[in-house]
Amino acid sequence: MKKSSFSLVLLIAIQLVIPLVLAGCWDSVELNRRAIVSGVAIDRGEGEAEKYVLSFQVIVADEISGENTRGISPVALYTGKGHTMFEALANASRQTARFLSLGHIRVLVISEKVAQEGIKDMMDVLERESDTRLTSLMFISKGQQAREIMSTMTVFSKIPANDLVEKLDTTSKQFGYNYRMEVDDVIRGIQLRGGGPVINGVIIDGSREGADTNDNMKTIAPHAVIKVTELAAFKDDRLKGWLKGNTALGTALLHNKIKGYPAVIRYPGSGFIAFNVYQSQLEVRVKAADPEHPVFIVKISQQVSIKESPNSLDLTSPETLQNLSPLLIEDTATKIRAAIETAKKYKSDYIGFGQVMERKNPQGWKKVRDHWEDVFAACEFRIEADAVIRHTDIRSNSFQINP
Amino acid sequence: MSSGRRNMDSQAEAAGLTGRGGRTSGLTEDLDETILNIRTELGESPDLKVRRLQIGGERSVQAAAIHISGLADPAAVNEFVIGSLLAEPQKLPESAANPARIQAVLLDGILELGDAEVTDGWNDLLLAVLSGDTAVLIEGCMSAVLCDTKGGESRSVEESSSQMVVRGPKDGFVESVATNISLIRRRIKSPKLRLEYTRVGTETQTHVAMLYMKELAGKDLVEEVRSRLNKIAIDEVLESGFIEELIQDKTFTPFPTIFNSERPDVAAGNLLEGRVVIIIDGTPFVLILPAVFTQFFQSAEDYSQRFDIAILMRLVRYVSFIVLLLGPSVYIALTTYHYEMIPTTLLINLLSQRETVPFPAFVEALLMEGAFEILREAGVRMPRVIGQTVSVVGALILGSAVVEAGIITPIMVIVIALTGIASFAIPSYNMAIAGRIIRFGFLLLGGMFGFYGITLGLIVLVAHMNSLRSFGIPYLSPFVPLSVKGQKDTLLRLPLWLMKSGKTPAQLRKEMPDYKRVTTGHEAALAPLIRNNDAAGRKQDREDGRDEEK
Repeated sequence: MKKSSFSLVLLIAIQLVIPLVLAGCWDSVELNRRAIVSGVAIDRGEGEAEKYVLSFQVIVADEISGENTRGISPVALYTGKGHTMFEALANASRQTARFLSLGHIRVLVISEKVAQEGIKDMMDVLERESDTRLTSLMFISKGQQAREIMSTMTVFSKIPANDLVEKLDTTSKQFGYNYRMEVDDVIRGIQLRGGGPVINGVIIDGSREGADTNDNMKTIAPHAVIKVTELAAFKDDRLKGWLKGNTALGTALLHNKIKGYPAVIRYPGSGFIAFNVYQSQLEVRVKAADPEHPVFIVKISQQVSIKESPNSLDLTSPETLQNLSPLLIEDTATKIRAAIETAKKYKSDYIGFGQVMERKNPQGWKKVRDHWEDVFAACEFRIEADAVIRHTDIRSNSFQINP
Repeated sequence: MSSGRRNMDSQAEAAGLTGRGGRTSGLTEDLDETILNIRTELGESPDLKVRRLQIGGERSVQAAAIHISGLADPAAVNEFVIGSLLAEPQKLPESAANPARIQAVLLDGILELGDAEVTDGWNDLLLAVLSGDTAVLIEGCMSAVLCDTKGGESRSVEESSSQMVVRGPKDGFVESVATNISLIRRRIKSPKLRLEYTRVGTETQTHVAMLYMKELAGKDLVEEVRSRLNKIAIDEVLESGFIEELIQDKTFTPFPTIFNSERPDVAAGNLLEGRVVIIIDGTPFVLILPAVFTQFFQSAEDYSQRFDIAILMRLVRYVSFIVLLLGPSVYIALTTYHYEMIPTTLLINLLSQRETVPFPAFVEALLMEGAFEILREAGVRMPRVIGQTVSVVGALILGSAVVEAGIITPIMVIVIALTGIASFAIPSYNMAIAGRIIRFGFLLLGGMFGFYGITLGLIVLVAHMNSLRSFGIPYLSPFVPLSVKGQKDTLLRLPLWLMKSGKTPAQLRKEMPDYKRVTTGHEAALAPLIRNNDAAGRKQDREDGRDEEK
């Protein structure tokens, strides 16, 4: 009697435990069954059936940090085609020995052609899929196939996608107008009424010959270099045009994303002066009593230092610095004006003035919401710039001024 | 002492010593018969020493001194029992006509012992002799005189080997209950310290002492401990673990609900916090109760070091407990379910490590954990001479060979090693082994369900800990139920003056004679402050003094 009740308890216990083992593990995948995707290129294929051509840059981990490397390429590119993004992904999996794991996508490159046709549909899958992350960086490949960007050997990082990320981070700190543009930012940009996102451009500089082999790096000057380039301006989800130079810098300033950029101005009678703008603070206000004719006031204050001075200037005198400031202010205003003019030209409020308007006058915004691009193209902007020269770096006057 | 003895005698009777020889009493008026009875009762044991004497004037009275060699202190038996019995015969009555009178004279003027008394209980006699006392029997007397000659070999007070400190007292408890009590009494010279004796174990008749501070320890608590101790009905008590298991609130839990220590300073500190200390004869480990979870992460050293450093060390211990519980399971959950949470560069590293490993991460972890447990178990039992071998073999096999052979990934070795070291960072050994067991549960959960399983496991664990009580005190207090005041000595260890509520450092320091005061050069600025504190301190002193006079 006692024995049978014990075995009954044992039986129940086993029945409780065994299903746990069966139920668990169904989505467990060991690391050596995964193929980690570092970057995805999205190209326009031929016709509707092959609308999306997805190229996955898969990391060959053994080649990067393993002990027994075979001397093969550190990444491999697999391509899939389909009506939709998901179908293309499924197609690509036919070629890969392991599960394509999208959790570590650093970079998404979209070809210019796809961008011109619209990127709305593909953004949905990026947001919906649980594996992909919203912090992946987005790029538009200017005039080239996106898959070419994903299949170029790079010098500094064995993984080209990582190389591109690092390049963007570096340039956004040192040069200026490119800044981090993540999937999340792009989706929010598309939702801007009458506007659109701004996305970094990327190109390959040099010859494509042998760019996808080690030969690319065998010479001191690499044949082909991935390069972060101009900004792609969108209206809704379609590419409208490319911003560069002053226009691009002004756009970045208006987005308040600038970290530091060189400003070069001509000083009458003594050549060029180079400044390092290391802090910019932007504020946009609007007088929107009449929603059809709002007046935007863009207020910007900057802190700069002198990096390069023509030798004749006496930088120890406060007056000299006071005289320099207006020139700098004019330079900043020019950039912002150029950016606004270009946005007006494209009839796209990708800078987000509409949001300022909506916050200030929600009722008025409802009236102009549907034809905001027309109102935007016609409305008035006032720019109030201010700049302070904080220091002249570790010299005061140039060595040539001292007797 | 005598009341204690009476207490334990009745205990012995209750425990049923009488039943042993089927004899109600072996004490007779005939000395020879009594000695024979004792001999028979103890199975003709050769270490039972019977010394026959002729005492009294003209050496007219037959007597015998009985003790067990090894248990009794030979010097005490020779000098204070037999020596004094034979020394001054003229003090004793000359005839054996009145044996009771002889006994009275023995107690009053002959026996040079601090503790001696008359008993007519057969079991009391046997128990006393078995405890190391000497029994003096007199012809024609139905009772015996019991002389306290307990002694024999025992270990001297040494540094505790299980709970070591860098700074702090170095003495540790020993196996003798009397020595242990003295170690505590030396630290607390207060009349409020209460001691109660009882005997537990029908065969072993082990001395169990219960200590508490009157007024500080709750009456209910003391009563509860007393009643639980008295309810124990077991043959043998060989270690404090026996008592712990029989009086704890819950058996089916990995967590210890009674604290144990080998350190007198810890026992004293806990007494002063109102806890009860149980000392068991034959083991250097005393029980301290009630115990709460945070207590197992406190070390005696916390109070010797500066408070900020003590806080840091305490946090390190809590972190190591979490690492011990979750280290391998989080690693497995991360690599098999949540690879997206691992930073990309690290992931590439892990990927290439795993490339050639034949087992799933879960099996890998189980293998390594198993090997580590074997190693640890072997290391504990290993004779000290060959102990080195274990560490060499362990370091070689677990450290490098498995990695070189490609069976285990290097990162797994790191994870397991970290877990192993974390288990040693916990000051209380029984909490550390609790963590080691629970870790395997989490390993299973992490391997089957990932973070989802680990989270569920943690919820169940916390619920279980909430259900635990130690003598009525919730195990997780002062967190659950939350007491803000109780936090002063749990995760943190605040400075002493902050812990003792409402007193400033100066008040705690009391007044210091002027000539001893260290000059800082800032007296002028501090003067008003010092004056105030001194005034308060002096007033306090005066009151204290008055109390003492009374």
